[in-house]
Amino acid sequence: MAKRKGLTLTDVLITVVIALVFSFIYSIWGGVYTALEPLGLHLNQLLYGMWFIAAVVAYLVIRKPGVALIAEFAAASGETIVMLQFDVMLIVYGLIQGLACEIVFAIVKYESTSLMVAVIAGISAALATFPLDWYYGYLGQLATWNLLLMFGFRVLSGALIAGWLAHLLYRALKETGVLKLVGNGHAAEEGL
Amino acid sequence: MSEAVKRYITFADRVNPLVKILVAVALFLTVILIHDPNHLFHLAVIMFILLLLLSGVKYIYIGLLTGAILFFGFISSLYMIFYGEGTTTIFRFGIIHVTEESAVRGIHIMMRGITLSFFGALIVFTTRITDVFYSLMQQGRLKPKYAYSFMAAVRMVPIIAGEYMALRRARKVRRALIHRKYITGLKGFISAIVTLLSQSIRRAWRLGVAMESKGFDDGPRTYYHRTTYSIHDLHFVLLIVLGVILSAFLGEWFSPFDTVDAR
Repeated sequence: MAKRKGLTLTDVLITVVIALVFSFIYSIWGGVYTALEPLGLHLNQLLYGMWFIAAVVAYLVIRKPGVALIAEFAAASGETIVMLQFDVMLIVYGLIQGLACEIVFAIVKYESTSLMVAVIAGISAALATFPLDWYYGYLGQLATWNLLLMFGFRVLSGALIAGWLAHLLYRALKETGVLKLVGNGHAAEEGL
Repeated sequence: MSEAVKRYITFADRVNPLVKILVAVALFLTVILIHDPNHLFHLAVIMFILLLLLSGVKYIYIGLLTGAILFFGFISSLYMIFYGEGTTTIFRFGIIHVTEESAVRGIHIMMRGITLSFFGALIVFTTRITDVFYSLMQQGRLKPKYAYSFMAAVRMVPIIAGEYMALRRARKVRRALIHRKYITGLKGFISAIVTLLSQSIRRAWRLGVAMESKGFDDGPRTYYHRTTYSIHDLHFVLLIVLGVILSAFLGEWFSPFDTVDAR
């Protein structure tokens, strides 16, 4: 296949399909997340990183500009398709998280697949949701210890789930050999 | 949306999908700017009435959905009710401290969620998903490669679901033969996702190559399915704008909450 720099239809299709696989997991995850919510201690925030794992995995697989944003948008709208519930909020959050990851990937010029980049992307996506949450959920009026707990858990979760776990998935995927098909064929040069 | 749940078609079904999405975004911004719980209460009620009248869906489904929306909305506002700041204590138990202010604020956050969910449900019930992408291409000038990859991917959702079920059954049958750690826990989770992902990537790649060679790429296209703007779009926008204005007036007239600012 001819190597093309921009996103081809195949790239977009693979990105969206990766995102849809994750939107299944998101839907199941949503149940666990909600189950932990009544405790109020923000234990659910420890699971928060899962909401932007699709962006990081899709980037690690394809490594082209725009992939993280498309993946996060598709995963958010995928929840609409899987759960049959349209939520503008979900899509707005998805776009913001995808954009935050995208900025990190643009800084490394869409080349690095290191664990560190994944972790930083995960953390930045976690941070990016705060301004909106602050306004939407009136976080300024929350008891301070509770707010710090929420903040800490979410960042930790971004690093662990969207960063470390996403990287683990990427390495496992690489072993299957399926990545030879994808993107610019860079995986072939990586000795697969 | 599936025909099985529908009872009748309303003008909302004929509104351009792009217009509905733009109205949804505008409503999201409006709801964020409303700090008066009385105002928001009436907006939530109006959205519910619109869902009831315009979706054309059997009441049993709307009832089930409403129950779920209220339940999840309530649960997701508990963090504020339990730990929000306030001066007038209603209830205190250990670290939980419910005050009048935090309770109203929590309910306000819940009403934000349900207002948007009711409107979202109305959109889902009155829009066909393929029309969304046709509209994005024809009125939104979205490049066909994005729209067609989304539409193709949507068709794969049932296949992915089927694959997941097959994987579960296969694991059940072979449970005695494989080590437990490959079924449960992190290893099991990763092996399940990697299986689903690698299969899906392969399938997406095959389909992508086929679609590219058939010319589903960029470039000008003609369409069999056409979506257009119509007078229904204007009616729909006006209806929602009127709803927001009406809810503000009703909030002045009938106020279930003492305060006018939930902050």
